[in-house]
Amino acid sequence: MSRRMGRAGRVGRAGRIVLLAMALAIHAHSALAQNARQIVEEAQKRTDAKSQRYEGLLQVFDAKGKISDKRWSFERLGSHGNSKAVLRFTAPAEVKGVALLVVNHPDRASDQWMWTPAIERDRRIALQDRSTRFFGTDFSFEDLEERDVDQFDYTLAGDDAVDGSACWRIESRPKESKSSQYTKSVVWIRKDDYAFARFENYVKDQVVRRLNYSDIENVQGIWTARQMEMADLRRGSRTRLTLDKLAYNVPFKDEDFTLQAIRRP
Amino acid sequence: MSLFRLISWPYFRRHVLRTLLTTAGIVLGVAVFVGMHAANQSVLFAFSRTVDRIAGKTELQVTAAETGFPEEVLDKVQTAGSVRVAVPVIEAVVDTNLKGQGSLLVLGIDMTGDRSLRDYDLESGDDAVVDDPLVFLAQPDSIIVSNEFAGRNRLSVGQRLTLGTVEGEKPFTIRGVMKASGLTSAFGGNLAIMDVYAAQKMFGRGRSFDRIDLAVKPGRSIGEAQRELTALVGPGFQIDPPSGRGQQFEAMLTAYSMGVNISSAFALFIGMFIIYNSFSIAVIQRRSEIGILRALGATRRQIRWLFLGESAVTGLIGSIGGVAFGVLIAHAIAASIGTLIADVYGVAQRTDEIARTPGLLAIAVAIGVTTSMVAAAIPAMNAARVDPVQALQKGKYQVLSAGESRLRAILALVLGLVSVVCLTTAGSRPVFYVGYFLAIVVALLLSPLLALTLARALRPMLKWVRPVEGALAADSLIQSPRRTSASVAALMLSLALVVAFAGMARASYDSIIDWMNATLNPDLFVLPSPNIVVRTIRFPPAMAGQLAAIPGIRRVQMVRDARVVFRRTPVMVVAVEMKSVAETVTRMPVEGDPDEMYRRAAAAEGLIVSDNLAELQHLRVGDTLEVPAPNGVLRLPLVGIVVDYSDQQGTILMDRSLFVRYWNDDTVNIFRVYVTPGAHVSDVRQRILETFAGQRQVFVLTNGELKAYILKITDQWFGLTSVQIAVAVLVAILGIVNTLTVSITDRRRELGVLQAVGGLHAQIRRTIWIEALSIGVLGLALGYALGAVNLYYILQIVHHDIAGLRLDYEFPVATVVALIPAILGAAFVAAIWPAESAVRGSLVEALEYE
Repeated sequence: MSRRMGRAGRVGRAGRIVLLAMALAIHAHSALAQNARQIVEEAQKRTDAKSQRYEGLLQVFDAKGKISDKRWSFERLGSHGNSKAVLRFTAPAEVKGVALLVVNHPDRASDQWMWTPAIERDRRIALQDRSTRFFGTDFSFEDLEERDVDQFDYTLAGDDAVDGSACWRIESRPKESKSSQYTKSVVWIRKDDYAFARFENYVKDQVVRRLNYSDIENVQGIWTARQMEMADLRRGSRTRLTLDKLAYNVPFKDEDFTLQAIRRP
Repeated sequence: MSLFRLISWPYFRRHVLRTLLTTAGIVLGVAVFVGMHAANQSVLFAFSRTVDRIAGKTELQVTAAETGFPEEVLDKVQTAGSVRVAVPVIEAVVDTNLKGQGSLLVLGIDMTGDRSLRDYDLESGDDAVVDDPLVFLAQPDSIIVSNEFAGRNRLSVGQRLTLGTVEGEKPFTIRGVMKASGLTSAFGGNLAIMDVYAAQKMFGRGRSFDRIDLAVKPGRSIGEAQRELTALVGPGFQIDPPSGRGQQFEAMLTAYSMGVNISSAFALFIGMFIIYNSFSIAVIQRRSEIGILRALGATRRQIRWLFLGESAVTGLIGSIGGVAFGVLIAHAIAASIGTLIADVYGVAQRTDEIARTPGLLAIAVAIGVTTSMVAAAIPAMNAARVDPVQALQKGKYQVLSAGESRLRAILALVLGLVSVVCLTTAGSRPVFYVGYFLAIVVALLLSPLLALTLARALRPMLKWVRPVEGALAADSLIQSPRRTSASVAALMLSLALVVAFAGMARASYDSIIDWMNATLNPDLFVLPSPNIVVRTIRFPPAMAGQLAAIPGIRRVQMVRDARVVFRRTPVMVVAVEMKSVAETVTRMPVEGDPDEMYRRAAAAEGLIVSDNLAELQHLRVGDTLEVPAPNGVLRLPLVGIVVDYSDQQGTILMDRSLFVRYWNDDTVNIFRVYVTPGAHVSDVRQRILETFAGQRQVFVLTNGELKAYILKITDQWFGLTSVQIAVAVLVAILGIVNTLTVSITDRRRELGVLQAVGGLHAQIRRTIWIEALSIGVLGLALGYALGAVNLYYILQIVHHDIAGLRLDYEFPVATVVALIPAILGAAFVAAIWPAESAVRGSLVEALEYE
């Protein structure tokens, strides 16, 4: 948006009016032509990739300001509901070598296994209570699940701006078949690139968790937030995930995403 | 009320000592009742509280008794529609190596889901450790301890704690100290948390869990979840609320609880006789007073209620004192029961608080008051019947009338016959118990007559020993049978109980020694824990090969024993290599053919049970047994019944292959090792220890050491007998002091005259002493006679109703002989003060008395 405003600044007054008129026309058309569900579908479609790899830095800032860091390498084959991912911790020393295999399904919660090298064994992680925190972060297990558009009802709640970007504000409520810790979520999707800008999760009428996306960049044609920050508003803590060495469509093999694979150092 | 104030109160004040002694009878009875029950309740309560506190928000627990089950069961349970969260648990009790700290209960849990059921808030340490299971799981030496345990041992985060594991002693790193909460106070605060998968490795569980704790989805009932899970996992599992474990524990302690109840009942019964004695004496002494009251217009009813009121007040005061004293002794008894349970049942327990349940205390007071009033009922009735004219006359009112003697004898004869009939035709247990009760009543009815007869028989001997003092003492007993008989009866009851318990202990010892000699014949026993009943740490089967390869070892047998639930009762399964055991052990079956029994059992075609299980569950050879197991229901015929003392609830012996197949568990509790002829047992033992040094925690006991260990446990079990003996001695002292005090008061004139005509103080003292010793002798004689009968009944109860054990009748001669000096010594001690009181009395007053 800022880049676009910059370009707008370099054109003349008439040109600006034309551009504004065109923008308004496009906006009106969009609002009319697309309903909330279609926006979410489009946003999901635009992040489709055959695979993804990055190195992540996870920083947990507790209410007292203490910071704890963890680093991992992340590899994913497929995307959204049809994907498998391996997350391997690289730091600090006490968690180095611990690996997590996540198998996402379009119609149900993911399956997860963990490999603990010190006792040389893997274990299945049962995500029965998905409201619990994900390994001490401010994310819950549910927050990390890939959301399926069919599991929610959407309402377009209006327009808003996040970090200067125009966004659609969409309210999503879980359908009866979907069990969730949240009563509803409000999601902001940028109008220019359909990138997610913010999530707010509610329990009854109270916002309990807020997820902000920042440093959104186009990486290999996919608008990707390089930083995500989840704030637990009840605990007063926040967790920041920073992605580094991000790449899409890396050639991975299916056998790299198995229990045998995560047992390998 | 005014009668009580005007008549009773002054009497109490005049006879402070006797009032105290009377009250002491109730104090004693109630104290034993409260002490034993409070201790027993405290142990049960401590166990349930530990279970509850560890359970947290757990609504149901899935267990396969104590055998554990494969991890796959967890997957099944987690898929159940009614389950919100299900988490695996491993529990191990390990030695801390910290002086005076004993065992630590290690709870192996899965942090990823467990916080839904339990809180692990930290007082110190990195919160991330518990918030982030990743850190906790990545470091298998991670352990979190309770603040109580850390405080007691000055431990803090980062320090190391060495614990006994299946791989020997291992250092663990304390990564957190839990804040004080319900959970941290479980097991007396000796609680630690570690990762369930690390616990599997450390405690030799392979890929199995001990238990699954679960919470039910909102809107689904616990009953609904129980039904769904039972259908899902099969009948080999128990799916119960956490409180169910408390019930199983209670069932395991049935035998002990029964012993406690019998002891308490006897203690109260004995207390009742002390009260009865005191009130009978009081009625006799206050005949003139009663006569005057009656002459002044007091009704029989008023007189009866006067005495009943006095007994109620005495009972109330005695009960309150008994409750206080009982709570005091409960600490010691609870500690003893705790040790006993750990050693006999392998369930470590810490009882730091004594249960003072208002219900128990109220019952104790009610029982004390009721006992006192029941004991005083007959004396009160006699008081009400006092004829005013006769009451004001002097006479030998204590002599039993011929009519009364005859009535007692006839009643005793009739009741005795009924008792015998009950015993011989005891088709039902209640009839048997009626017979038992009647036998005691017969003894009580006959005790005055028998005491009188015995006293007459003693007279010539006493006269021969001390012509004057002996004759006087004997005459005193003969002339006042009422005064003597209640003390003798109390002593008789007390000794009858001691004889029965001691006889049972003796018979048990002999049977256990026979069983040990027949079955425990290996030279060495290799165990993973110094406590042979601890089964939470086990060996892998591969160790058998390693042992067999050690020079000097001829044969190795693997034993796996585990408590399972059979017909809703926890019983012991002992899985052995039946073919090998048949070659080394020759057991003669109680029922079944020995060759056929071993052949079919070794071929996994049949099961053998202990005779106590057969008795308790009414099993016969040929019956088909159904033993639920994690891999299905084991259905096999019963091929033999043998004598076995492995467990009080009974034992099922089976071939090891069956256990491995049905319980999916190939671990080993004990290796039985036979040494090659010519090899030295001590050398082989040393080689075993050297072979496994640094690899495994191994304890090697010789045959003699194991047998001594079992006998030590048996000793602890019969420790209750020592409480009985203490009560018996106390009863002897109380009863005799009471009787002699009254005797001296009654005979003040006689004693005064004796002194006036030149009787020496020494002679009077000796008279009192001889009288006391005579009461002791009468009590011993009658107590041993009743004890012989009581022992028979107790053995029948043990056989049919408690442990199913068939014990041979054996009169405990050694105990009986040892009790003679104890009781006579107590009698003498009891006579010292009354004797001194008799010689110090004023001669003038004594002669004025008339």
